[in-house]
Amino acid sequence: MHKVTRRWWLAASFGAPLLVGLTAPSLQLCVDGDDLRIVAAPTLHFLSDKPLEKLKDGATLVFLAQFSLSTEVNAPAIQRAVDRFVMSYDVWEEKFSVTSTGVERATVSHLSAAAAEYWCLDHLALGIDGVAADKPLWVKLEMRAEDARDQAAVVGQSGISIARLIEVFSNPARAQQMRWEASVGPVRLADLKRERRSPRSG
Amino acid sequence: MKCALISFLISGASLWGGNQEPFLQPVEFNVNSQYTVESVEVPREVESGISRGLRQDLERLIGQKFNPIALDDVARRMRDELNVRTVVPRLLRGHRPDHVRIVLDVAGKRVDLSVPKFLYDSTQGLNGAVEGTVIAGDNRFTAGLVSNGDELVERYSGIRFRYEDLKLGTNRVRLRFEFDSYHEQWNGSTLKAIAQDDSVPGLYRSRQNFEPVVTIALAKPLTVSFGASFQRFDPDIPGEHPQSANAAITAVHYERQFEGGLTDEQDLAAGYSLRAATQAFDSNYGYARHRWEVRYTIASGRQSLTDDAVAGLITGNAPLFERFQLGTSTMLRGWNKWEIDPLGGSRVVHNSVEYRYGLFEAFYDAGAIWDSGEDVLVRHSLGVGLRKNAFQVAMAFPVKGGRASPVFMVGMNY
Repeated sequence: MHKVTRRWWLAASFGAPLLVGLTAPSLQLCVDGDDLRIVAAPTLHFLSDKPLEKLKDGATLVFLAQFSLSTEVNAPAIQRAVDRFVMSYDVWEEKFSVTSTGVERATVSHLSAAAAEYWCLDHLALGIDGVAADKPLWVKLEMRAEDARDQAAVVGQSGISIARLIEVFSNPARAQQMRWEASVGPVRLADLKRERRSPRSG
Repeated sequence: MKCALISFLISGASLWGGNQEPFLQPVEFNVNSQYTVESVEVPREVESGISRGLRQDLERLIGQKFNPIALDDVARRMRDELNVRTVVPRLLRGHRPDHVRIVLDVAGKRVDLSVPKFLYDSTQGLNGAVEGTVIAGDNRFTAGLVSNGDELVERYSGIRFRYEDLKLGTNRVRLRFEFDSYHEQWNGSTLKAIAQDDSVPGLYRSRQNFEPVVTIALAKPLTVSFGASFQRFDPDIPGEHPQSANAAITAVHYERQFEGGLTDEQDLAAGYSLRAATQAFDSNYGYARHRWEVRYTIASGRQSLTDDAVAGLITGNAPLFERFQLGTSTMLRGWNKWEIDPLGGSRVVHNSVEYRYGLFEAFYDAGAIWDSGEDVLVRHSLGVGLRKNAFQVAMAFPVKGGRASPVFMVGMNY
């Protein structure tokens, strides 16, 4: 039997958090009634670097999001939820404002960067009615910064076209387009925590 | 302060309020649209490059609620007008509560390929220059090719290298080094004329020029330049040693725009330049070349009227590339320069009046070129053309007795 030395403890105390971090799923999920919801996406931060810089310069940025479910890795999605988030940064309050313009319109303001990101993720709910609870599933969250061509396709005279928003995600992102992705799988709905989430803010 | 403050308060309806889609446009989602624009700031060095229309639209943003669509639009137009890589709008807190300041930062191109001149002239053939510039901060490195038979007695073809520091310690001082190396070609009329005229220095087959110049902006409309030009050329006589024409350069330039009154805009530009070569600079030639120019433009709506007057005087013995020309693409258009004076002249006066309405232009040129002791003969020409930005097509007619062939010119930046 190996002797537990001081060096061993030192390695373990530094290595364990690293190991936990590496093995932690990039998408943490829960079941809320008939919906699959995102609890956290620790590796996905779209309010950073250039987008954050632009927002702080007073620009309006639009992010497109798709939360999807498939039965195999890289297989076509069997369920998906899409949304479009318009963000800006109040130069006086130094807080973010977000408006969801997708399925249902909602606005929230006076948020920190982390809270604004979380609000967007929390706004995505994927219908799982009819999806077998014990079947292995692969779940993906994809976000893109909307560019002018996307805007022309998605935003029409009568408002946001969800069908066209889905179509945007069926095509690969453009070379210059900023995108973020987090995925997890296989997961079984039966294994996920059941949570009654508070009604969406806004 | 680096940025010039445009602070005109404009009353009246919102410039952009008319036809916005209430659901789609991001203006309502930008939380800063609740704030009033206090000022719009653009870098001082690019201010003069912005059109009057765009300047007015920038001013119109002041006093209105912040509108990101309007801001993006003016930033895009500014980028196009200044021909820069990008214009980044930034929003900052204003000095008063609930007010914001707009700052438009300009980032120049890192690499720029340009055509300083392209001209087809039915008497002189093709003339052109192409340049590539690498921009690193305030430094510009340019290399180019040129073949030009329009401006001088000779056709010079060769390479150009230029280094410019646009900010030598301060924004007011610029430094430029230029090196050119040309090969010369001569028109038959020039060859014939020089054989009969001993008073004009001889031909040369190649020419190199090194020219360091410092320009100082004394005030916003007034600049002064000092420098030197070291020209070395190989005479077109086998066995003859290379010659040099080394000159001190000085130039004064004044340019000012006036707005208001009965017209929309008036521009006044005036300049004087002197190139003085003496044997003190180890020059084979001793001469002084003076050139004066005054240009005045009055514009109202789509029409404008310009008067451009030039005078030049050379004293002493100057090589051929310093001598004045008429019958070019800008002076006494329509005349054949080799018919007027195949060796150029040491005295010149010229005046051009140009009227433009939209794309259309009409011009009247009058001028005289002569040497000391010769009679002064004033010649005239008329022309019409179309001009869109840098592109121009024109037909010019010399006013003279007998048969007069018009000259057709097409090109850009000439």
